[in-house]
Amino acid sequence: MIAPAPAWATDLNDETVEAARAAIGSALLDARVRVGEVQLFVHRDGIVAALTALRDTPGLAYQQLMEIAGVDYPDRPERFDVVYNLLSVTRNHRVQVHVATDEDHPIPSVTGVWPAAGWLEREVYDLFGVLFEGNPDLRRILTDYGFRGHPLRKDFPMTGYVELRYSEEEKRVVYEPVKLAQDFRTFDFLSPWEGAEYGLPGDEKAAPGAALPQAKGAQTPLAADAVVKAGQAQSDTKAPAASSEPYAKTTAESRADTGKGANSPDAEPKPANPDVNPGKGGQNQ
Amino acid sequence: MHSGPVELKADAGPNSLVPPDQGFFDSLNGELTDKGYLVTTTEDLFQWARTGSLWWMSFGLACCAVEMIHVNMPRYDLERFGAAPRASPRQSDVMIVAGTLCNKMAPALRRVYDQMSEPKYVISMGSCANGGGYYHYSYSVVRGCDRVVPVDIYVPGCPPTAEALLYGIMQLQRKIRRSGSIER
Amino acid sequence: MSDAPTMAPATTTVDPYVDDVLHLETPANPTEGDVTIQNYTINFGPQHPAAHGVLRLVMELDGEIVERIDPHVGLLHRGTEKLIEYKTYQQALPYFDRLDYCSPLCMEHSYVLAVEKLLDLEVPLRAQYLRVFFAELTRISNHMLNLGSHIMDVGAMTPNLWLFEIREDCYTFFERMSGARMHHNYFRPGGVHQDVPLKLLTDIADWLDTRLPRIFEDAISMVADNRIFKQRNVDIATVSREDALAWGFSGPMIRAAGVPWDLRKSQPYDVYAKMDFDIPVGTRGDCYDRFMVRVEEVRQSARIMRQCLAEMPDGPIASDDRKVVPPKRSEMKRSMEALIHHFKLYTEGFHVPAGEVYVATESPKGEFGVYLVADGTNKPYRCKIRPTAFSHLQAMDFMSRGHMLADTTAILGAMDIVFGECDR
Repeated sequence: MIAPAPAWATDLNDETVEAARAAIGSALLDARVRVGEVQLFVHRDGIVAALTALRDTPGLAYQQLMEIAGVDYPDRPERFDVVYNLLSVTRNHRVQVHVATDEDHPIPSVTGVWPAAGWLEREVYDLFGVLFEGNPDLRRILTDYGFRGHPLRKDFPMTGYVELRYSEEEKRVVYEPVKLAQDFRTFDFLSPWEGAEYGLPGDEKAAPGAALPQAKGAQTPLAADAVVKAGQAQSDTKAPAASSEPYAKTTAESRADTGKGANSPDAEPKPANPDVNPGKGGQNQ
Repeated sequence: MHSGPVELKADAGPNSLVPPDQGFFDSLNGELTDKGYLVTTTEDLFQWARTGSLWWMSFGLACCAVEMIHVNMPRYDLERFGAAPRASPRQSDVMIVAGTLCNKMAPALRRVYDQMSEPKYVISMGSCANGGGYYHYSYSVVRGCDRVVPVDIYVPGCPPTAEALLYGIMQLQRKIRRSGSIER
Repeated sequence: MSDAPTMAPATTTVDPYVDDVLHLETPANPTEGDVTIQNYTINFGPQHPAAHGVLRLVMELDGEIVERIDPHVGLLHRGTEKLIEYKTYQQALPYFDRLDYCSPLCMEHSYVLAVEKLLDLEVPLRAQYLRVFFAELTRISNHMLNLGSHIMDVGAMTPNLWLFEIREDCYTFFERMSGARMHHNYFRPGGVHQDVPLKLLTDIADWLDTRLPRIFEDAISMVADNRIFKQRNVDIATVSREDALAWGFSGPMIRAAGVPWDLRKSQPYDVYAKMDFDIPVGTRGDCYDRFMVRVEEVRQSARIMRQCLAEMPDGPIASDDRKVVPPKRSEMKRSMEALIHHFKLYTEGFHVPAGEVYVATESPKGEFGVYLVADGTNKPYRCKIRPTAFSHLQAMDFMSRGHMLADTTAILGAMDIVFGECDR
C-alpha cells in the first residue's frame, strides 16, 4: 500500500480474523482481508451475538459502531448487503461486518448493543427498505414525509417518480409526476474494445488476463486488493518509476524560452514512454 | 427625493473632500430651512422607504447560507444598505432563498413566504435555488424555488460570492424603484 | 318529573371501581386548588436562526424542562449518494464540497484518500503537505464559524463579528488557492489540482503569526472566562466516556468527554505522521469543554500549518499517473498523448478496480468516513458517506433531557452540526 490512506493497525488484520473466528463461531460465514481491511461475513440470525462478541471480547474490543451502510446488488438472491463499520479505539483497528438479506427477511436490530444504531438502521431502512427487527423507532428519516419507495435501490430512478410545485388553485404544494425539460445525459463508456461483456470477432487475443493494469486508473479485471498486492510485489523487484514528468521532452522548456524552432525528431533522444506497454492486458487507449 | 447628479462646489479645492450628493443635500437643506417642509411624490416616498429598509428573512438552507451570513458580517456589511436580518417572517420584506430547496422543506418555505407581509420580495440565491443546479436530477430536490414561490431576483453562482449577493440586493432596490407604486 | 326519584338512588350506588378512581389520592393527582399541568409539545424549526440550518426538533416540555426531543432531519436530503452513483469519480468530487459546506476540503480529503486507496496510488510529498496545510486552514475556518455561532447562540454578539473577519481572511486565501471562496474542488485523486504561488504561502505565514492570534485570542478572551458564558455552558449536557463511545461520538465531541482520540494522530494520513501537535482533551464532557477543545484545536492547527510551511518540499503536486491525473495544459499543447489522456479523463474518467474500503479522516466535526464500493468501472457502485452530525444529533435526545429549553441552543451550538452533511 503506497497510497497515503489512514494508517491504522493493519498489522492486526490476520490475528483479528483468527480472533473473530473464535469469538463468533458458526455464524461467521467467511472472513477475509481485502485492500487492507478485514471483512467478516456474518449470517443475519447471528448478527447481534456476533457484534456483541466483537465489542466485548478482550482481544477484539470494537467499542464504537461508526456506521451502517447498505449496498444493493439486484442480481443476487439476497440482494442487500448491510455493512457495519466498527472501530476499536484501544486497538486502533477497524473491521467491516457484512450481512446479506432481502426485502422480506428482517435483520435483528443491534440497538441493544449500541444505541447509536437506532438512526443508522432507520437510514438503511429508509434508503433501501431493509427491515430491522427490534428497532423501537423504525420510521423514515431522510426522505420526505410520505415518500414512497426506497431511493438508493438500484431500480429506483435517480430523478424519482414525483416532483413538487406550488399550486395557485389549491393554495398548497402539490406533487406531480416528474417531467424533465432535458433528460439526464448518460454515456456508456464501456466500448466493445474494453470491458464490455461481448467480444468482437477476431478480438480473441484480448482475453482478460491477470496482468496488472497499464496504469493506476486504467481498467483492469483485477480487484483493488490484487492490484495492491501485485503492485507491492512488482515494486520490490522493479526499479522506481523512471521519470516524474512523462511528457517532459527533455528540452521542451528551454525551446519555449528561446523561441527556437522545433528540432527534427531525430535530434532528440526518444524518451521511454511509460504509457505504451507492449504487454497484453487490454488496449484501452 | 431624486438623487441628483453630484455637484461639486465651485470653491472646492483640488484636494478637499466633497461628500457625494453634497449639492443634493444642500438644496434639500435649504428648502427645509426656507419653507419648513419638503414636497415629494408619494411614489418616491414609498420607494425610498422600501428600498432603504429591506429587512431580509434569513432563509438559510444550505451552502449559500454561509455566504449570506458573510455578506452580513463586518467586511461586506449589508446593513449599510438598511438591510438587516430578521428571524421572523412577519417583520421581513425580502426572503433570500439561500441553498438547495428539498421536497421535504418546500412546504415550510411556502408557509414562511405566506406569513410575510406585503410588499414582499424573493431573492433566489445560487444555482440550486435558481434551477436545481448540481442537484437538478435528484429525486428529492425542487428544481428551482420559483416552482414554490415567485422570485424577483436570481443570483447565479455556486455559491454566489458575497459581492454577488450584495449586487443582487442592489438590483432588487433598482427593481423596486423602477416599478414601485403603492400597491405592489 | 316522575323520573327524578328513580334517579336519586342510582347516584348513591355507584360502581365500586368508579368510586375508587374518584377518590384516588396519589401525589400525582391534583388536590384542591392545584392547576392541572400537562406536558406540551412544541415544534422548533425547520426555520429557526439557532437551528444552524434546517433542523426540526419536536420537543416535549414539562414547563421549561425538556422531557424528550425528537429531531427530524432530512430537510436538506439532496440525494447525494444516489447522484454520485451516476457520476464518474472526478465528477462526484464536488459533491463532497457541498456536504459540509463549512469545511469543504476536509470532506474532499476522505473521498480522495478512499479513491487512492482503491487505486493504490502514490501521491507526491508536496501534494500531501499542501493537502494537510489547507485542511488545517479549513479547520480554522470551520471552527471560527462554529465558535462564533455558539457564542451568539448563548447571547454574545461581538466575538462572532471578529471571528468572521478571520473567516473572510481564510476565504481570501482559499480564493487565491483554488479560485473559489467556498467550493474549492482542490484535492484530486493523486494530489491537488494546482500548485499555489509562493506569495500565498508567505502571506499565510504572516497571517498565522500576526492577524490570526490577535483577533482570535481577543475574541476568545471575551468569552472564555466570562461568567455569563460559563453559566450557559458549564455542566450543560454532560456526556461520560462510556456514553460517548456507545453513541458513536467522534472529533471534539469525544475528546471533550475525555477520550484522547484523534484520527490525525492515531491513524495518520498524508503527512500527519510527521506533524508535531497536541490533542486537547476535556475533563467534564460538557458544552464548555467542547467549546474549549475547539479553541485549542485552532491553535494546534496553526502549529501544524507552520510546520507544513517550514517543511514543505518542492516537486510535483500530483501523481504523474496520466490515467488518473490529467496533464497540464501546456503539455496538452505539445503532446498528442497528453491530449488523448486529457480527453479520456474528462469524458470517461478513470477506472477504479473492484473493492470496498472505508476511509475516515478527522474532519473538524469528527470522523468523516467514506465507504466506497467500486466495481471496476468508471463510476462508484456505491458511496456511503458517514456524516459526523448523524450520531451526534441522535444523542441530542439524551443529552438535553432534563435541561432547560434555552439550553438546547447551547447544546446544538456545541455539537457543531451542518445539515448539508447530516442529511446528504
